[in-house]
Amino acid sequence: MATRKKVLLKVIILGDSGVGKTSLMNQYVNKKFSNQYKATIGADFLTKEVIVDDRIVTLQIWDTAGQERFQSLGVAFYRGADCCVLVFDVTAPNTFKSLDSWRDEFLIQASPREPADFPFVLLGNKVDLEPRAISTKRAQQWCQSKNNIPYFETSAKEALNVEQAFQSIARNALTQQSQSVDLYNEFPDQIKLTNTTNRNSNGDSCAC
Amino acid sequence: MEYDLPSDFDIIVVGTGMVESIVSAAASRIGKRVLHIDSNSYYGGLWASFNLDSISKIPEGNRSQPVVENKENEIVYPVGNDVFDLRIHSQKWHIPESNPEKDVDESDSAVAQEEHEWTQEKLLKISRKFNIDLAPKLHFAKGDFVELLISSNIARYSEFRSVSRILTWLNGSLEIVPCSRSDVFSSNRVSVIEKRMLMKLLTSCVDGDENEFKGYEGKTFQSYLKDRKLTENLIHYVLYAIAMCTDDTLCLEGVEKTKRFLGSLGRFGKTPFLYSMYGSGEITQAFCRLSAVFGGIYALNQSLNGFIYDNDNTFKGIICGKQRINATHLVMSLEKLPKEIVDFSTTEYISRAIFITDKSILEDEREHLTLLLFPPVDRKAACVVLELGSLTGTCPKGLHIVHVFTKQTVNPEDDLKHCVEKLFCKREGESNSSPSILWSFYFSAPNTFSQKLECEKLLNTYVCPGPDLDLDYDPAIERAKEIFERIYSNAEFLPRAPDPEEIIIEGEDNNNIINETEERAEVPADQGDVSSELAHEDDT
Repeated sequence: MATRKKVLLKVIILGDSGVGKTSLMNQYVNKKFSNQYKATIGADFLTKEVIVDDRIVTLQIWDTAGQERFQSLGVAFYRGADCCVLVFDVTAPNTFKSLDSWRDEFLIQASPREPADFPFVLLGNKVDLEPRAISTKRAQQWCQSKNNIPYFETSAKEALNVEQAFQSIARNALTQQSQSVDLYNEFPDQIKLTNTTNRNSNGDSCAC
Repeated sequence: MEYDLPSDFDIIVVGTGMVESIVSAAASRIGKRVLHIDSNSYYGGLWASFNLDSISKIPEGNRSQPVVENKENEIVYPVGNDVFDLRIHSQKWHIPESNPEKDVDESDSAVAQEEHEWTQEKLLKISRKFNIDLAPKLHFAKGDFVELLISSNIARYSEFRSVSRILTWLNGSLEIVPCSRSDVFSSNRVSVIEKRMLMKLLTSCVDGDENEFKGYEGKTFQSYLKDRKLTENLIHYVLYAIAMCTDDTLCLEGVEKTKRFLGSLGRFGKTPFLYSMYGSGEITQAFCRLSAVFGGIYALNQSLNGFIYDNDNTFKGIICGKQRINATHLVMSLEKLPKEIVDFSTTEYISRAIFITDKSILEDEREHLTLLLFPPVDRKAACVVLELGSLTGTCPKGLHIVHVFTKQTVNPEDDLKHCVEKLFCKREGESNSSPSILWSFYFSAPNTFSQKLECEKLLNTYVCPGPDLDLDYDPAIERAKEIFERIYSNAEFLPRAPDPEEIIIEGEDNNNIINETEERAEVPADQGDVSSELAHEDDT
């Protein structure tokens, strides 16, 4: 039985600095691209509502805020992720080589319940640029060796495959969430502080 | 991924403890170029949370440091001192290393039976399910910290749970403190007359005018409560649990503390307190995240090799690895202060104990997040006991983490012994209804809150205190604000950060943070509205 509750999915984007994480997110959510390279400033997380199999889900896509540059992402960043998007630059071999360590880092820090089944999606970005350093085949082989991670070749600049990639990300995240959180509901009744006077249902009025 | 750090900043923040992280966020927020570094590979310093494996490897203090170097026109001070560090007294297991029979019999029934037989091996296997705070904190639902998180929009980075019950130790057993109106009325420990007395007292504490407390200026809160003809039990609840006072606390201070408690009731949950999901160590990371979002550069695990000053003792820069990085201001945590400069002597310490236990100190049908205020007895100071269950994301199901702390008078074991003995099984293997301690950790940390930390010898240098005894972060916020205002006297302290969507919308005009140079067409018209309407339909 599908739950008819509003679904919020947390997606985090990982990969070396400069592979286009912020650009992909910005292209997907805002349909915009900036050519000017700037280490992620002001990019935090973006949300977008998408329809997956007739269900409306809210994707909350978290950027690294530049904290990956000197390997300084804290464990708090990884909490509660429903899907992890790994990004490399198809013209920069080093960014492809780093994928293993990003994946390992995620599995250690996020420590998901079923590490082998946790959904990753791999994006090979900047396919609009030449010369190409990592072939499609090589990337696909890597994905196969990691329990068949879906792979997309994208260009945030040309808006190529971005929509399709995130659709797949949303679907994978949703599967993950309906398998784990809905079943186990690990941490019910968490409180988010918001500006509205958010009264808890079992809250008591003041004693005075 | 080997990059050099940029070499010029407005401000360098060394250490990722609470006060440093708030200052860092506030400086980045107003557009200052911030470098925030830590020699540790984790966030939080003395305010961090650790998993079970990493807490056993926690560094006790700074290693030997090189000496001051005098160069032409410049002095390089070595980093760190051994005055302000954790002092580990003991870290022990109270369960067997492994269960040798386990491999022989793997049948289902044996596994089920084994569930309650914890071994070191078993716990270390799920080490990452633990988030063990060095400095656990609670948050008053309407306190300075919660208000700052909301007003600065940093609240979006964290989640909380409310403390579900407050206990006290009264007449030799644990009692639930009635703190809300419904608690007071449903409590069968409080008579009808007492209920009226209590409500009346609490009302006059909050609304009372000056006349109410006239004549009590030099007297204790306890004497005020006695004069109000409260019963012994009620005095106990109000004095030790609600106001968290001692017998010597002055009346007006007691009234203030009562107000702080009552003022935060009724916002979230049944008690005035919240606790950060996954541990208090998450909070420093939330402030660091905001700093990073606004351009702060983060580098953990850095080898700090010196602070550079000119001959007038004005801060010039730091040496990080082999790189020299210049900045105008230096903010650092106390433990990073050069040994040669430390002229504060630590007089106060906090005695702390952390336990992993196999059940709650007061079992109930559902899991609780419990605050126990253990009253002062026999010249022993009051102890704060915080019991966390698996719903806080700090320990696995079936176990609890218990933090016990107090102002140090002798050492952690002796200061907390009277309280620990009453709550837990005395000997290993002894089975009664009290929880058993599976693992224990006793340590002490300097309480530097009441110290003046102005660093007069070094200019443009600001020193942040370590964790204090306050339940919440109020003193830390106050210190951070002070430091920020000394550096940037006219700037606003942590104004509300725009939501990501707002940044983009502003960018369509002209002052875009992401700096759009090329715009694609086909911006979907009102797509968000349509989807949210759909979502609404979906809800119904």
